[in-house]
Amino acid sequence: MSGQYHRSHKWAWFFERPGYVRFMVREFTGFFVGGYLVVLLVTLSKLAGGGEAAFAEWLASVSGPWWLVAHLVALVASVWHTVTWFAVVPQAMPIYLGENRLPAPVAAIVMGYGPWLTVTAVILWWVLR
Amino acid sequence: MDAKDTMTLEIFRYHPETDSEPRFQPYEVPYNEDWVVLDAINWIKDHVDGSLTHRWSCRMGVCGSCGMMVNGEPKLTCAAFLKDYYPFGIKVEPLVNFAVERDLVVDMDGFMDKLQEVKPYIIRDDVNDTSEGEYRQSPAQLAQYKQYSMCINCMLCYAACPVAGHEDEFLGPAALALGHRYNKDSRDQGQAERLDVMLAGEAIWGCTFVGECTVVCPKHVDPAGAIQQAKAMAAQEFFKGFVMPKGTGA
Repeated sequence: MSGQYHRSHKWAWFFERPGYVRFMVREFTGFFVGGYLVVLLVTLSKLAGGGEAAFAEWLASVSGPWWLVAHLVALVASVWHTVTWFAVVPQAMPIYLGENRLPAPVAAIVMGYGPWLTVTAVILWWVLR
Repeated sequence: MDAKDTMTLEIFRYHPETDSEPRFQPYEVPYNEDWVVLDAINWIKDHVDGSLTHRWSCRMGVCGSCGMMVNGEPKLTCAAFLKDYYPFGIKVEPLVNFAVERDLVVDMDGFMDKLQEVKPYIIRDDVNDTSEGEYRQSPAQLAQYKQYSMCINCMLCYAACPVAGHEDEFLGPAALALGHRYNKDSRDQGQAERLDVMLAGEAIWGCTFVGECTVVCPKHVDPAGAIQQAKAMAAQEFFKGFVMPKGTGA
């Protein structure tokens, strides 16, 4: 239809609302999760196939202070990604008990924090036993 | 509070027959603590400038007509109180992500088309005779979709959604939430028809779960949640298609 006015979109749309910024931060932390997984996979491959010397060499090469900083950043980013994801999971996967929907914080514990802590505890037990 | 207090409303003006670009026009309006932004706009139209064009009807958050951007936030202007902005000014614009017809009025045609696409009504393969009575539903079955049935089509969610503003194929929060509402209704048998529409291209997959549609929804519909559930339902149906022959009703 002629005569309508079309407003243009800003390329930096993600600064227009605080919610957009939070969304972009959550998405961005995915890069750190992915990066850490690459390091972890390489570590596992060295452990599995390269022999003890190759594994020790790899460990030495990722033990410098910058690697420590990188791991700390990846840890913070992963925790942020996980916590913000658990916060929205109850929206995507509601749990109903009859006609009552489980409150979001309880659903987040049932589907997120509970299994997370359980798996972490099992791994810790297995490593430390 | 001084009875002579005033507030300034800066209002987006655009008349297609005379304007090539929109402009903001300031208006001084009386400040009343119990006024909402819509009252102030109506006062301007009645007392200052009859050419100001806007949509409104019920004044009580039911009709969904008076959605506008109030200081950059999608709001029902019948529920946005002046006292929450006083003594600062208020900037009023038409909902973003829509073409502007005139002043504060946006073109709803695209939204209405998308709404129709998801077939937001009960579809039955077998229709009972009225003498057989109503299709009965338990409170637990009602709870599955009731929240999503509260949508008033105010389109605030489209104004808050960055994808709706950039991807034409995306059906958008309200239409998808209403499609999901009927898919979750135990009386309905039209899920396959709707999922065919919802699965096409970016119709539903355009949603990246930004979640701002849910934040601005005045009726607490949670379109973002409905869309993610609909995605999961669509994925289940997709994989079921590999193991279940068509027409088994599974």
